[in-house]
Amino acid sequence: MMVEEPASVLALAVGNEPLTREVFGNIDSVSKVLFYCLATLSVVIFGWGIWRRVRLWRMGRPSKAKVDWRAALRGFWAKVMTQHTVRRSRRRAGIIHALMFWGFSVLFVGTILIGIEEYASLILGRGAHDPVIHKGLYFAIYEVALDLFGLFFLVGCLWFIRRRLRAAKTSIGHNALDWVVILSFLAIGVTGYFVEGLRIIREATPHPELSFVGFGVSKLLGGLGVNEANVDPVHLALWWVHALLVFGIIAAFPYTRLLHVIAGVINLVSTGKHLGQLEPVTLEELEETGKVGVERLEDLTRQQLLSLDACVSCGRCEDVCPAFEAGKPLSPRDVVQGLHQAMDALSPRSGEGESDAPGLHGEVIGAETLWSCTSCSACTEVCPLAVDPVRLIVDMRRFLIGEGGLSGPPAAALQKMQRSGNPWGLAKQDRFDWAEGLEVPTVVTNPGFEVLYWIGCAASYDRRAQKVARAVVKLLEIAGVNYATLGPEERCNGESARRMGDEFLFQELAGHNVETLARYEVRKVITHCPHCLNSLKKDYPQFGGDYEVMHHTQLLSQLVLDGRLKVDSEAELREGKRGRITYHDPCYLARVNGISEEPRRLIEAVRGPEALVEMERNRSGTACCGAGGGRMWFDDALDERVGGSRVSEVIETGAQTVAVSCPFCLTMVGDGLAAKAPHMEVVDIAELLAEVIEEPGRSESTSM
Amino acid sequence: MKILVPSKRVPDPDQRIRIAASGHAIEKDDLPFVLNPFDAISIEEALRIRDENRAGEDEGEVVVVGIGGAAYEKELRTAMAMGADRALLVECETAPDPWNVARILQAVVEREQPALVLMGKQAVDDDSNQVGQFLAALLDWPQATFASKIEFDAGRVRVTRETDMGIETVSMELPAVITADLRLNEPRYASLPAIMKAKRKPVDRIDCADLGIAIEPRVRILEMEPLVSKRTCVQVSSGTELLARLRDEVGVL
Repeated sequence: MMVEEPASVLALAVGNEPLTREVFGNIDSVSKVLFYCLATLSVVIFGWGIWRRVRLWRMGRPSKAKVDWRAALRGFWAKVMTQHTVRRSRRRAGIIHALMFWGFSVLFVGTILIGIEEYASLILGRGAHDPVIHKGLYFAIYEVALDLFGLFFLVGCLWFIRRRLRAAKTSIGHNALDWVVILSFLAIGVTGYFVEGLRIIREATPHPELSFVGFGVSKLLGGLGVNEANVDPVHLALWWVHALLVFGIIAAFPYTRLLHVIAGVINLVSTGKHLGQLEPVTLEELEETGKVGVERLEDLTRQQLLSLDACVSCGRCEDVCPAFEAGKPLSPRDVVQGLHQAMDALSPRSGEGESDAPGLHGEVIGAETLWSCTSCSACTEVCPLAVDPVRLIVDMRRFLIGEGGLSGPPAAALQKMQRSGNPWGLAKQDRFDWAEGLEVPTVVTNPGFEVLYWIGCAASYDRRAQKVARAVVKLLEIAGVNYATLGPEERCNGESARRMGDEFLFQELAGHNVETLARYEVRKVITHCPHCLNSLKKDYPQFGGDYEVMHHTQLLSQLVLDGRLKVDSEAELREGKRGRITYHDPCYLARVNGISEEPRRLIEAVRGPEALVEMERNRSGTACCGAGGGRMWFDDALDERVGGSRVSEVIETGAQTVAVSCPFCLTMVGDGLAAKAPHMEVVDIAELLAEVIEEPGRSESTSM
Repeated sequence: MKILVPSKRVPDPDQRIRIAASGHAIEKDDLPFVLNPFDAISIEEALRIRDENRAGEDEGEVVVVGIGGAAYEKELRTAMAMGADRALLVECETAPDPWNVARILQAVVEREQPALVLMGKQAVDDDSNQVGQFLAALLDWPQATFASKIEFDAGRVRVTRETDMGIETVSMELPAVITADLRLNEPRYASLPAIMKAKRKPVDRIDCADLGIAIEPRVRILEMEPLVSKRTCVQVSSGTELLARLRDEVGVL
């Protein structure tokens, strides 16, 4: 039965011949049966492989969080379909990946549509040249789209092959199997166009130029002497090559890095904002399992095990890792790949019982590797598939800490946090000494305060950092902010203990502070320490402490904007002592908490926009000073510290002053400069501002 | 090899010490106590000797001893959280002086029959540095004090000692008494999970009297007064000024 196409819908139809093509044209029934047998086989192999992975993932601990399907769907569009996360860094390779992804997706959907057509016409009993949907305008768009996206796919393949051949970047990890995959992809694309070209010669359908690549191939093959009379066997043979390659790839999916298409997408869409966040462990869990943290693979969560399969070893994490850059024995990629390989070597268990999995510590991941991490989160942020090496590392550190696997200065720091409430073991009674000579209000002397100024251990005890707190207090007083401090009642917030894996010490300290803050009904907190900020903002809510937490640069820039702090624009020029200024973004401020513009606004307020010289690695792409994640307490020799290259980068700007907004950075950058460029000075932004602020005499305390 | 590690709990050296009103002791209320740091080093070394099988024997046991009241159990748990196998708490009414501590330890050694007694060279609260020496004399065992390295060699123990005259190496027959110096090792950290696990390890309590020891005090504290530090900081502008001040004001040049 012929179907007349209304001319208005399809001007492309020629005479009585519909615009379509035959599905399975030239494929004899034996081939068809064989095709379906092999298709079934490849899907079974695929399914078995996926099932095996799913069983491996399910060895892990079930996640506590519920799946947010709506967020997952949004994430699927925003992260997967747009390819945003892969294009964010390594722009060129990212765009090529996107081309390949979009090409692959369209070809995949196109193939599904052909399948739907085939079964629909089987059910409806249509003939070979009487398709259900595969005709007319739909067919025209289909042909153009598939040929176009097929080209994207091929360009992607060729570019990736070129990139691997050059292999200048050792950070692209690839092996023989990856070559088989990429060459198979290339061959699938090429044979696809050849089969199409041969089909055009065979069928002589109307408007073959719609399949513009296949049409070109048909012209080429025509020139080589292929014609309607001799095309059939060639077409059948190439069709088989194409089909076999596709089956091979389908079957290979769960066994190669192609698995990232499945594991990576699941991991990506099910992961929300996770920078700077860790899962708590409860005492009940400890009592139940007798251990804390990750000793074996099955101590990881299911999501973490899944994320190991997401990793394709692209090496973006290694590129940005400051510990790797400093020559420490840590590459986040190697950590994830090491765990991945350990999982690969396991046979999934179905029943309960003791694990036969070997321990990870020492064999898969060395302690030195784990202790090298500063938890700067650059790896976690850069990963296109939301793998979180920082959490993997902290979870494994938790086990080491529980087993007494830490000694020396960092162990002493933890002990001192517990005994004295600060990492230096200085007397609790001395905590408020930094305020000597200033009339700093406390929650006791000013119970009607609106905002609590959290000082942190560094500014409480460290002589250099004390000056920062004194500068902040001066500015708060001038602006008339109604604030208070906890005075001697403040304790270490436990941030570095938590990142070092001492979860229960952290919980002890956090519990103490949450109680104190509740007693004084604290709602709003400002702090000049990004680590305190992150902990109060992201760790404390897990233990009943919910506060509105601001960094001092946020409050100060608001005060300048509101005119409550007036910059004496002449002062800096008069003094002229600061010169050009560069700004070092602290990881826990810029990357983990997204605060990078307010500090710059303050520098501009002090010196105008010209004075600021940016470093290449800035804002969320900043480079770690080396003190995070408890590295502050490791007492590395200066030339062995993580962050040495950052100090060089600071010096290269030629600036006279480097502004920071974190006490750790103040120490690390300060130490580095003292050794390499003693003419440079490190200051906190609050100090910079305090130098040039007009003092109108003590104004009355007004509402914030 | 069975290693006995005598220990002492001392006021946290990071905290400020106040003298009690009596003038004969320190104010102990609210004062956090910790394992004497030199004893923590001894425990660490004993654990390493056991775990690295350094003495060439398969079975090893580390037994920590404490002398004091019931509150001592916390520090003994810490020692077991580090990895000691079990603990002995000798309960005494009053804190014994070094001579009596050595006598109590002698009785414990005779009960436990260890091959090695490894202890801190001194406690950081009273700094007497006597118990190891007294104990070796009472037992008539060889002793090596101020150890910075301990090695085993064919049933003998080689100890590197840090003395004011230089590094000295001695070799002793076992059983022996060794006291640990600062540079012997860096003790591991006992975290809460480890302390919780250590709750399952046994603490044997022995009454001082059951050891057949009657405390005979030989030391009496007459008076205690706080140490006053008179350090002042002055910033000088030049080397010349520094020299001048050192000469004129301090009188050291």
